[in-house]
Amino acid sequence: MWIDEADGFAEIFKGYLPYYLLVALPIFIIMSPVNPVAASHEFSVYRMQHYDLHTVPHGCRSASFNLEGRSLTSWSTSRHCVVARVQDITIDQFMEIRSKAGALLLVLPKNDTVLTVEEKEHIQLLEMAMIQQEVNAPVYFARWTPEFEDILRDLQHSFITDDKSGTALEAMLNTVSSNGYQIVVSASTPQKLDSKPVTLHGKLVGRSGSAQTIVIAAHYDSSAIVPELSQGADSNASGAVAVLELARIFSRLYSTASVRGAPSLLFVLTSLGHSLNYFSAKKWLEEQLDSTDASLLQDVSFVMCLDSLSSSDSMTMHVSKPPKPGGAAHSLKSRLGVNINHKKINLADELLAWQHERFSIRRMTAFTLSSLQSHKDPSRSTVLDLPSEAGIRNLAANIAATARALASHVYNLTDELNDEDRALYDDALVSTSVHAVDKREPEYALYGATRAALYVYSVKPAVFDLILTLAIVAYLTVVYFAIQLFPRFYEEYAKIVTGKSKVH
Amino acid sequence: MTLYHFGNCLALVYAPYHMAYKFSGISEYATFSKCVYAGGLYIFTQLCKMLLLATFFPDSDSNHITGEYNVFLEILKATVDFADLLGIYFALNSVPGKGHAKILTSAIGWASAEVVVTRSVMLWVGARGSEFSWRYVRACAESNVALLHTAASAALVWLSTRSDLPRRHAPLVLALLALSPYRGLLEDAAAALLALSPWALLALRALHAAALGLTSLALYAVLAQQIGI
Repeated sequence: MWIDEADGFAEIFKGYLPYYLLVALPIFIIMSPVNPVAASHEFSVYRMQHYDLHTVPHGCRSASFNLEGRSLTSWSTSRHCVVARVQDITIDQFMEIRSKAGALLLVLPKNDTVLTVEEKEHIQLLEMAMIQQEVNAPVYFARWTPEFEDILRDLQHSFITDDKSGTALEAMLNTVSSNGYQIVVSASTPQKLDSKPVTLHGKLVGRSGSAQTIVIAAHYDSSAIVPELSQGADSNASGAVAVLELARIFSRLYSTASVRGAPSLLFVLTSLGHSLNYFSAKKWLEEQLDSTDASLLQDVSFVMCLDSLSSSDSMTMHVSKPPKPGGAAHSLKSRLGVNINHKKINLADELLAWQHERFSIRRMTAFTLSSLQSHKDPSRSTVLDLPSEAGIRNLAANIAATARALASHVYNLTDELNDEDRALYDDALVSTSVHAVDKREPEYALYGATRAALYVYSVKPAVFDLILTLAIVAYLTVVYFAIQLFPRFYEEYAKIVTGKSKVH
Repeated sequence: MTLYHFGNCLALVYAPYHMAYKFSGISEYATFSKCVYAGGLYIFTQLCKMLLLATFFPDSDSNHITGEYNVFLEILKATVDFADLLGIYFALNSVPGKGHAKILTSAIGWASAEVVVTRSVMLWVGARGSEFSWRYVRACAESNVALLHTAASAALVWLSTRSDLPRRHAPLVLALLALSPYRGLLEDAAAALLALSPWALLALRALHAAALGLTSLALYAVLAQQIGI
């Protein structure tokens, strides 16, 4: 019986099966492309911030990986890519992943409005923790999609275990039923971006040429853990908008000789915000102050920096030196009616706290107006910094308050000024200056690429193929015996159908 | 998934056909060339069907876009599959020998050609890629069912050409033959109505093919008894 069967199987291989396959298969393999099938899932993902500040590396250092996806609980080695929701991962878990895992893929929340205050705070703290140090594994962020939800659920509930199942049978069933995911990002190694920060400034010349200058400044770059997704609605689009709006209001006032104020107004928009140490403000100041024909910043009355004005409708004045009573800054402070937050400049810190410190270092009276109480507020650099209706209302209120205070200071009024807009033309002269980064010792360096395509392949472990082979062999054995027994079956069947035995 | 997985799928497709050819006794008739001839007839039939469909039927892709499912049009299209029965008839005629050898040779040749034409590219492209899907394993199992189905159809065609077919069987044979082009449609309709999973649909197809096979085998047995083969 067994020998017969062995003969039967040997027959199969003795036939024409192996010979033509031996020739045909290699030809096919050579001819066909390496990876002929497209992945079932393809996503756009955004790489974590990657930059050097004073040659100290920050953020994610690598870009491409090809690893097996695992959930937060089931990953174990550097051959795994951890896939998790941003709100699920704790800072401790991140620290462990940073040192041991192969890659990290974080899925952003579906919609930021459903997040509780605690969750938002958690995400902001996580962002801060992540950007503090360098991460050697690739870290990517992805927007929420239903497909990602499925993948996350699969990874959480069915993990292809190495040792966690009870019995061998259980492990085997797990292998067959579970879905594995191979996650692939093919990107080139991060390249240093050629960054040329641009500073814009425009001046409204006052009534008397010799009078003092008031500088109104803001930076216009946002910063967050994901450069592609950092909108920076509050920090610092609101500040930049405030500068532009003040420029619009005062350019109308200054365009008529009779209502022109005494001091000149200088509006400055710099790039590179707090995360890159206000480097372009520093460069711009050097250019303006240290060049021989420096006339722009002579006799500065005070510098007013605007930062993050939309988170509430009250403002705080941040100073590095308390304003002297009777000084211009103090006058504005009393006209604004805001609280003062005094923080000395600490040059030993890696980062300056506020933009005004750049001006204070150059011995100008400077302060920052912000809705935030502290420069350490994590909401200054988060991907959750998105435009909102309430934010726009706060911003409008703050701009109105600032404009009123500034106008009353400029015209030296004691009572409330009612500055009705008049239809006038804009004559502010705007100049731009482009700064270059020091080649030998760069103050900062930014790296691309900031986005990539992510492919997710559903895969089964290698053991699965072996189990499938066993199942196919079992099936083929059944088919073999069915064919072998067919004549006998036919005889019996014919007997039943026709009612008599076959005549031979 | 891998080349190994492709090998698995190939074994699942190929081995039953090979065993059917080797162990059913028709290989003793040295009819490999006849199998190839039946396969050639299959391809020729498909070309004729495609010509018919392309000439007389509206572009089906535009229907896919609008998402409409025109039942009447689908039935008309399935009607073109009567050409398959004609093709099998010619294949049967070209094979010399006894009834069962005729039926098996043309069925195996016909079904093999079908597998090669419809499944090989899909398997090569799909099962070898890094993406795993049960779809390919299912397609392989389905091709086994197709062999059974083709054999049953060939048996019915052969029975209907016999002039000595018992009178009382003729209506049944003709009815089954008339239904055969619409089998795929009926199976799909049943699956859609019962909301069957793909595996359940495969089981349904297998059951259907088995029932059809047993019925035609019974009819064949009666006739074989009568004429003494």
